[in-house]
Amino acid sequence: MSNVSLTQAIPMLLKAVPRSRNFEAVLLFWVAGIHAFALAQIQLAVSQRMSWDMLYYWAPPTISAWIFHYVLRKYVLNADGLLLPLAFLLNGLGIAMIYRLDLAEITRGGQDLFAERQVWLSCFAMLIAAVVVRLVRNPLVLRRFPYLAGAAAVVLLLLPAAPVIGRTFNGATLWIAIGDLSFQPGEIAKILLAIFFAGYLVSRKGPLSEIGSRVLGMKIPSAKDLGPILLFWVASIAVLVIQRDLGTSILYFGLFLVMIYTATGRGFYVGIGLVMMVTGALVASRLFGYVGARFDAWLAPFATENYTAQGGSYQLVQGLFGMAHGDVIGAGLGSGFPQLIPLAESDFIFAALGEELGLAGIFAILAIYLLIVYRGLRIANTHQDDFSKLLALGLSFVLGLQVFIVAGGVMGLLPLTGLTTPFLAAGGSALLANWSIIALLLVLSDSSLKRVKE
Amino acid sequence: MSELALFLIRIGFVAVLWVFILSLLSVIRADLYGRRVISRIAKQNAPMLTAGSAASLGIDDGDSFDPTEIAVLTGRTAGTNIPLENKKEVLIGRAPSSDMVISDEFASSMHAKLVHVGADWVLQDLNSTNGTNLDGKKITTPVTIRAGMTIRIGTTTFELRS
Repeated sequence: MSNVSLTQAIPMLLKAVPRSRNFEAVLLFWVAGIHAFALAQIQLAVSQRMSWDMLYYWAPPTISAWIFHYVLRKYVLNADGLLLPLAFLLNGLGIAMIYRLDLAEITRGGQDLFAERQVWLSCFAMLIAAVVVRLVRNPLVLRRFPYLAGAAAVVLLLLPAAPVIGRTFNGATLWIAIGDLSFQPGEIAKILLAIFFAGYLVSRKGPLSEIGSRVLGMKIPSAKDLGPILLFWVASIAVLVIQRDLGTSILYFGLFLVMIYTATGRGFYVGIGLVMMVTGALVASRLFGYVGARFDAWLAPFATENYTAQGGSYQLVQGLFGMAHGDVIGAGLGSGFPQLIPLAESDFIFAALGEELGLAGIFAILAIYLLIVYRGLRIANTHQDDFSKLLALGLSFVLGLQVFIVAGGVMGLLPLTGLTTPFLAAGGSALLANWSIIALLLVLSDSSLKRVKE
Repeated sequence: MSELALFLIRIGFVAVLWVFILSLLSVIRADLYGRRVISRIAKQNAPMLTAGSAASLGIDDGDSFDPTEIAVLTGRTAGTNIPLENKKEVLIGRAPSSDMVISDEFASSMHAKLVHVGADWVLQDLNSTNGTNLDGKKITTPVTIRAGMTIRIGTTTFELRS
């Protein structure tokens, strides 16, 4: 190995230490064990004995996670080692909880089963994520098409309002359906929007942060540069009106504000953005009945007229009762009554887990989300390239904000929205989008360690 | 299944979740404490050396030692050589962008640098957490490297050879 030139030596030194990959493998074993534990506990509690059925819910996702791990080893050796196990842990906990709700449904004689579907959708989402890793090995490729990504995001956002394929469930127009296949395009749109904002802001951050006149000690950007923020505000309000969902609207606008603030370092944007958003939401709550009903249910969930109203606070209150029943250490997986909460397998899986795992368990789940977001922000922090920095920040922030909005909604701290709990809730589009976010973060973390040579 | 067993399983599951999360803190600890931001070079270590500042420092050029490569003696990369020809500066540290990467918990991301001043190579510590040793002594000021001197950073030792 004598006389290695400097340019050869550095990649060699880096490749000699794939510690993150080995650590990831150890964690994957551990997570698979936790999943088996959860499934076994559910079977013991519900039917007093264990059966081989659990293999069906355990093995396919575990195998997919290992395939994903292998792909990472092959293509992005130095990628972050915590993201995959953490996301996989959440995904498996979600499958376990949905399986548990299925068992309750079977006992009740019902037909609405979700666990099997969720298992295969999880496998599919992980394999797609592996494909994303393979395709986007250099994240700078994404920088080439910011406007295409933006346009695609807008189209996806508007699709649910389109005739024929658009679908409305529970008052929110968030789905499209072709035959039996339904899809929530807004989930994919959040990734495309993050790509668009990152690309746009990297090229425009100079004017956005430098130009402007000073008024009352604050630098106000010129009208030309304020245009985009106004445009996007209007777009978010349009989403609110068309999709009838406050959560989606807040999610996209929040993403926009955080990314523009990070790119320019000007608090002005955040200040004016928040004022605009709150104003918009308040006006919407007065003008549109569906938003207003959500506000009423949030402010007074226990009031009789809200509790008994169609689409009122019944679901929220059942969730609150469930979490109260869970207490600190929970009723134990399989021993609570989460089946009493409407839509416990999707919108309210957070409350179902809160009941069966208790405060300690739900804090553990929030800690896992926190770790995922933290790893994402760390990737953003250590990356040398501005576009990748912004993209990593946007992707991890959007995940965190979504958890915040959903958890806040289920706990009655925020108005209830139609957003899904990432990785936990039943639903293919959300799994696909969130696993793709993990894939992109992994690719970004890998390239943050490479020398920028081009 | 007895009540007690179910109770233990129930506690056990939440406990396992938390053990998992807490075990990840070992990784994160390195993020929190491992790297220190280099705000300024310590006073006695100043001035910041750059190639060509020989005159201002008054470093004598009398010695004829003219090394051509860095030879790593111990550590993960023991046995490798890094050529010095046509280089003005060699940045040493854990950061992947360093000219000489030291993958070691005891190395800072920007640990030290070697600067070609006149005909000599001068070693400067960049306020690293664990310091840079030259022949077993921690350096506090920039030091000119002479033939046969051994530099140690963390568990990696190396010397300059002609």
